[in-house]
Amino acid sequence: MNLLLIGVSHRTAPVELREKLDFSSGDVGAAVQELAARASVPECVVLSTCNRSELYVANDDLDRTRREVIDFLGQFHGVPQQLFAPHLFALEGRDAVAHLFRVAAGLESAIVGEPQILGQVKDAFHSAAERHCTGPILRSLFDRSFFVGKRVRSETALGEGAVSVSFEAVAIARKIFDRLDGRRVLVVGAGDISTLTAQHLRAGGVGEILIASRTAAHAQALAEQVNGFAVPWTEMIPALGTADIVITATGASRPIITRAHVEAVTRRRSGPLYIIDLAVPRDVEPSVGDIEQVFLYNIDDLQKFVQKNLSSRSAEIELAEAIVDEEVVRFLARQRSLSAVPAIKALRKHFYAVRDSELLRLEGKLAALSPEHRELLERFTHLMLEKLLHEPTVQLKALPDQETQATYTEALNRLFRLSEIESDSSDASGARAKTGGRN
Amino acid sequence: MNFLLLALYAGAAITYGLHFARREPSAGRTATTLLMVAVLVHTFVIATQTMEAGQFPSTNTAAVSAFVWVLALSYLYVEVTTNERAMGVFILAIVFGLQLMTALLPDMETSHNQVLHSAWFGVHVASLLFAYASFGLAGVLGLIYVLQFKEIKKKQLGYFYTRLPSLQTLDAMNSRAVAIGWTLLTIGVVVGVVWAGQAREEFVDNKNLAAMSLGDPKVFISVVTWAVYSFALLSRRMMGWTGRRAALLSASGFGIVLLNFLAVSYLLKTSHSF
Repeated sequence: MNLLLIGVSHRTAPVELREKLDFSSGDVGAAVQELAARASVPECVVLSTCNRSELYVANDDLDRTRREVIDFLGQFHGVPQQLFAPHLFALEGRDAVAHLFRVAAGLESAIVGEPQILGQVKDAFHSAAERHCTGPILRSLFDRSFFVGKRVRSETALGEGAVSVSFEAVAIARKIFDRLDGRRVLVVGAGDISTLTAQHLRAGGVGEILIASRTAAHAQALAEQVNGFAVPWTEMIPALGTADIVITATGASRPIITRAHVEAVTRRRSGPLYIIDLAVPRDVEPSVGDIEQVFLYNIDDLQKFVQKNLSSRSAEIELAEAIVDEEVVRFLARQRSLSAVPAIKALRKHFYAVRDSELLRLEGKLAALSPEHRELLERFTHLMLEKLLHEPTVQLKALPDQETQATYTEALNRLFRLSEIESDSSDASGARAKTGGRN
Repeated sequence: MNFLLLALYAGAAITYGLHFARREPSAGRTATTLLMVAVLVHTFVIATQTMEAGQFPSTNTAAVSAFVWVLALSYLYVEVTTNERAMGVFILAIVFGLQLMTALLPDMETSHNQVLHSAWFGVHVASLLFAYASFGLAGVLGLIYVLQFKEIKKKQLGYFYTRLPSLQTLDAMNSRAVAIGWTLLTIGVVVGVVWAGQAREEFVDNKNLAAMSLGDPKVFISVVTWAVYSFALLSRRMMGWTGRRAALLSASGFGIVLLNFLAVSYLLKTSHSF
């Protein structure tokens, strides 16, 4: 299998360079098409995310292809080769297969086990397939990688547990409220971390998002960003009473939400109130957490879970790697048995052509046979050929590597002059049609 | 047949446990299949007993076994409609425990009491059995709500946090189970009272019927049960007692139901010991 992978990733290149070589912000399909045309490769896929730009190509002449792909990368992005060449990695055959499987499994991600990558691999393949840039090799390779990605996710806990504070905060919200639809969120303080959490909640489908900040302009800016409403600072405490989820991240030096505040607004409500205090020093009095309906989490609590999730993920890495290894072996074995198919086909064709031409030659003598005897003769010769062909077929499919396979194919070609038979196979098939032979 | 049934419930309980502990989808499917088979066999057992006796078996043991059947059936209904198996291990623990009890405790002779040959008796028993099954589900939902609540409140996101549904889901399911249970309990009690009144005129010298009053332990605890669940319903709507309070109420409510159903029936002689 002539497979080549050239690319940069967060492991080999700094973000400034990855940005320059990124395909994901533009039209990936067009890039794939251009690569296929320029580098004259029959099969190619471009996988580009913020952590990697990888070009998968399948071709016979890998040395030439490698140069062409590197040229394409530089020309397409207008980046001089000497700038990115030291950061490139190139993998062939088995190593390239293993790499793609690891990527799909989330093992190569910056945050190991993150769930988006599998979808990104699928998108990369589909945009190449839509432009007719994929063939049998990349199609089977990517198909298998989707399977490996799914298998690792279902058989290991690699993707379990949130690995950032804001994701963990949202995960807990889901354990309290189940669906976030229609939940009202109050964001107090419009800093980076509260913005990020509000964005995650918005993506999770929450209803109204209210934003209160001492600086009205900040509140307004964040409101526009997450499609929410800014409320005046003085309305913050009353707004607390109508919210289901509260995120606080102000720079205040003393708690701005006290137990008395929360008690006053929760007395009239029955549903839970989930408060996420991301500020240091804390914005919410710790004793607020003692109120029956209130679930209070501060940044340390969340960070503790994130650490725990990260360490339990790393425990799963070994398991995931074992699955990837197993799948690589399986995939390569399958590819090898597939690449034996042309030789097997030619051999079968040859055997059946001999049988058919012999039957044709004896046509005059066989004319005297009754239809039953004739049928018997055909069945007998067919079975004999199948028996003779069975063992060579099995052996050819099981050959350990490509070189051995090439040697065997060459030997078969010589012993049976298979290539010559290929050329006049139309005669043989004509003869077979007359004798009603099976193939 | 009874042994097979017990073994099937035990098998289902163990696989629900495995599914809960390991979170393997295949174990979950096996558990559901086992429980379905168990319920089918149980249906067959009860049908056979009913045909042999010529009436629905009314001994204590038969009633407990019928409750097990109804509880398993109701749970299966909930599982199939919500695709939520987290309750399974808890329900199956109750199911297996009660079924084991029916196998161990001595049974009375089925009495052929003419009083019980009435369609009203059927409605009375069936609606109470389904009411108790609903309370059983609500009780388990309440219990696991408290487990989940504790972990989230104390910020110790651990074993139950990863396995149990959200608080909101548990609370909503609990509320529905209590409402259904309360309705059936009300129907069961009203039918019982009306029917007992009629039967008293028909069977003047029946001691059981004569003894039926609020002073009777079984009747008294039934009324207490009704009061507890009426309070659960009202407090949720009027006083905002949702979440943990509702969960605790329904868990303790089911405790009273079990007390009535088991302790009172087996240990005390009541007007309901026909």
